[in-house]
Amino acid sequence: MSTRWYPIWQKGNPQLRVFLPNFWMKIVKPEHRQPKHVVTFNVSMEMTVHDVRNYLRQIYNLPVIDVRTRIALGPTEADKTQGYIKKADDYKLAYVIFPRDVKFEFPDIFPSDSETKKQLREDEKPLEESKGTFRKFLSRSKNRRGLPGWYSI
Amino acid sequence: MSFYSFLNVAKRVTISCPHLCRRILLNNHVKEINVGKHLFSSKPEDVTTKLMGFFDNKKNWGENEVKHGRNWTLPELRIKSNQDLHKLWFVLLKERNMLLTMEHECKRDHRLFPSPERLDKVKISMENLETVVKERNKAYHELETGETGQRPEEVRPNLFQIPERYRSKEYPLPAHLNKDFTVRKLLVKRRIFRDFLRKYREQDLIAKKRARNRDRNEVIHLLKRNPDLDKQMLQEKYPTVDIPMLEKKDKFRGHYVPKL
Repeated sequence: MSTRWYPIWQKGNPQLRVFLPNFWMKIVKPEHRQPKHVVTFNVSMEMTVHDVRNYLRQIYNLPVIDVRTRIALGPTEADKTQGYIKKADDYKLAYVIFPRDVKFEFPDIFPSDSETKKQLREDEKPLEESKGTFRKFLSRSKNRRGLPGWYSI
Repeated sequence: MSFYSFLNVAKRVTISCPHLCRRILLNNHVKEINVGKHLFSSKPEDVTTKLMGFFDNKKNWGENEVKHGRNWTLPELRIKSNQDLHKLWFVLLKERNMLLTMEHECKRDHRLFPSPERLDKVKISMENLETVVKERNKAYHELETGETGQRPEEVRPNLFQIPERYRSKEYPLPAHLNKDFTVRKLLVKRRIFRDFLRKYREQDLIAKKRARNRDRNEVIHLLKRNPDLDKQMLQEKYPTVDIPMLEKKDKFRGHYVPKL
């Protein structure tokens, strides 16, 4: 079932089918170490174990062995400036178990290698340029300190 | 519209009927997504590559910007067949899952999610697709039954007798046999509800009165500053204010000698 409204099922009627499911699922990095054939998903709150299994089997064509779900409590924390308590929404986690020989590791999307640093340096290029021009401007009045910058030809 | 073209439309529309749609689903789609033995015999590497479908293309990892297209528009979707729309829905669904995964990972790592407008575009596309499917469903139902076939809704009083939009749904029991429903109705007669409603209406009245006063003061203020203002226009803008009555009052007079 999706979150949409469907007529009540009566005995003898054909089984209800979802044509345009609007559930979402996302893979999240597991908090603790877990076997390599287990993948943690963050799923829509309305999804059941059967929904998760069907979703992965039929849309992603994955060999799901077993699914376990739990509802995780959203973190509660005090606001840093005002001090009032705020709580994030709860979310549903699904632990999906694949065949034992499957080895899936959550990829390292932001490796802290030189490439990203190079990228950062590129972002800072205009800033460096403007710094250089300002230094050049200052150097004009190097030998006559205290005079304003406009006091020249 | 010629007879044949009309037939063509009808043919296309019938597919959106649920029971026929199922047949199409069985004919075309389930073949690809069959949950059979072959699925469990798939290689472990294949499973990993399929799971990587939840992540963006590797060359986009750590980028500041990802190039992408625009969303699907309504006219584009209207000329597609139902099967195409059905396939496109799942493409969009997978894309949204991918984007959500990447967004979540970026947030976890305190990074900026590159090109977040992609999520909006997918959302708009999905909304448009649903609109088109609904249009076809409505057209089919109106042709066959004379009704829209949409979920009926009406404005009716809720538990506290406050008018509310109610979208009807099916119950296993009719209303007069449903004990819970009758009990709910009885509750309304109780005194606490009456008192609550009186106070609720009072709040509403106070709000309306304040709005009226605000309008009146606004008009006074305007006329004080601009005595030659078009009064008809003012009356149209503030219909609750009685302008001829206001003119008699002292408040209305500006700080100048009146022209005689």
